[in-house]
Amino acid sequence: MVIVALFVIFALLSLFIGAYEDMTLQALLDGNERARLIFIHSRVPRTMAVILSAAGLSVAGLVMQAISRNKFMSPSTAGTTDAAALGLLISFVFLGEQSGAVQTIFSFAFALIGTFIFTLVISRLKIRETVYIPLLGMMYGGMISALSSVIAFHFEAVQFANMINLGSFARLGGFWGVYLVIVPLIIAVFFATKFSIIGLGEEFAKNLGVNYNRVVMTGLVVVSLISASTFVTIGPLPFIGLIIPNMATSFYGDNLKKSIYDLMLFGAVFVLICDIISRLVIFPFEMNVSLTISLVGGAIFMVYLIKGVFGDDERKAKA
Amino acid sequence: MIEVRNVNQSYSKRSSKKTLTDVSMVVKENAITALVGANGAGKSTLLSVMTNILPALSGVVLLDGKDVRKMKANDLSKRVAFLRQSQQLNVRITVNDLVEYGRFPHCGGRLKDEDHQKVEEALSYMNLTDLRHRYLEELSGGQCQRAFIAMILAQDTPYIFLDEPLNNLDIKYSVEMMKILTQLVEELNKTIIVVLHDINFAAAYADHIVAMKDGEIYYEGPPQDAITPEVLNPVFDHDFHISNSAGRPVFLYYDEDDPNCEVCVS
Repeated sequence: MVIVALFVIFALLSLFIGAYEDMTLQALLDGNERARLIFIHSRVPRTMAVILSAAGLSVAGLVMQAISRNKFMSPSTAGTTDAAALGLLISFVFLGEQSGAVQTIFSFAFALIGTFIFTLVISRLKIRETVYIPLLGMMYGGMISALSSVIAFHFEAVQFANMINLGSFARLGGFWGVYLVIVPLIIAVFFATKFSIIGLGEEFAKNLGVNYNRVVMTGLVVVSLISASTFVTIGPLPFIGLIIPNMATSFYGDNLKKSIYDLMLFGAVFVLICDIISRLVIFPFEMNVSLTISLVGGAIFMVYLIKGVFGDDERKAKA
Repeated sequence: MIEVRNVNQSYSKRSSKKTLTDVSMVVKENAITALVGANGAGKSTLLSVMTNILPALSGVVLLDGKDVRKMKANDLSKRVAFLRQSQQLNVRITVNDLVEYGRFPHCGGRLKDEDHQKVEEALSYMNLTDLRHRYLEELSGGQCQRAFIAMILAQDTPYIFLDEPLNNLDIKYSVEMMKILTQLVEELNKTIIVVLHDINFAAAYADHIVAMKDGEIYYEGPPQDAITPEVLNPVFDHDFHISNSAGRPVFLYYDEDDPNCEVCVS
């Protein structure tokens, strides 16, 4: 209940904060035409974009963690985001300026292939220490984005590459693409129990008659669709898929069927707060939201990483 | 009825090293069957093959006359439940969540009245009703193992396969677990196949013993015939010392020649 209240408060705040100060509830009620236009064409789409992308990436992170059985996995630590960026860049280099739909398809295809390769490699490697996996994932992501840089230099698209790698809710040109996130979110709701069950292991899933490989593939498609559609319209939102599921599961547990809506709201509240901070620190201008998220999220991630390392030590000491 | 016919298994199709060689057996109904044998004898592999977790390379496993490889995964999971030795969990789920997962084969995750009733029954049968909202990570090893058994009960299968359920359990909980299994057979008419490392537990609680060695069934029979040095010495490649307690044979594992071992000297 608390999370619903917080969500409503911050969503309303987000709607009524902005450079145009005449946009108030009073102005809206008075039928001020300019206030109405700003509300409909700027504030509402922006708030929706924040909510949907945050909810989407939170779910994507938890699904990824269930598939890999690793609490440190997420779209930004498995190469998914970097592969989505590569896809977007390639569509620009070879096809020029394209509609959001084409860009999303390219991003999605690359994200899916990139994540699939990483998941496959990780499942073969038998790494005991779970904290190494996100580090490997970040190296893998680094390699993909290095490849992107080479391509960008070669085809003189450096400016485009830099632009897409900054996450922002202040982009011109509509946020319609982020509504696409609703599709994988609905799939995730339907598959919630199955995702939770495969999170308990392959044999556990097979015992219950769950088709393990099919559920893993569905999960990868969900994660890639969410990553691609948020990346194309907003850009990278680092750490969301990593820290939100970890924070949310300590309150709501890992049973996705029970916790999926709370998880979405939790993620939305976090990004709404970050977005509001970004808009207020240098008001009336605004800071890049991915910068705020990186600062806040990076600090939280460090806490989890340190806890993870020491947690492992404690477990070893017990054994 | 579960019947295993001429099953062969190896690590991979090309590998010549076999983990199971021409294994045939019929599972004894309404009884506890204990699989015993040294490490690498093929006990766990046989369990995986019987439950179709690892489909047999050759030979068949028949469940009521039907080849398990050709059965739908969902149908099989309503008949046969399989639990691996207590696993390290890194997910936060409650006892209630876990037991509800047991209903998945029947309801696909959307529980109806009947499913909720089965969950209640399983929880109360395992004395977990008070702990139902606790997270598994907060439970002791014995409670956690009971929660998994409750899940298997909610799955409501006539056949239950358990791979080393006593691992990580102390003596008190091990005895409790074996008593629960006996109860399941007597009260709920379950058929249980269990891999056990401790021969004394097998002798005390199993109705039927299958001793395995090098991927083959070395001996099969009731405990009084199977739990003997003639059978077990070659199976474990170890000379057992047997003492008698109230007419029951108790196996001592220590080396008889070990001068430090007082039990053996006396």
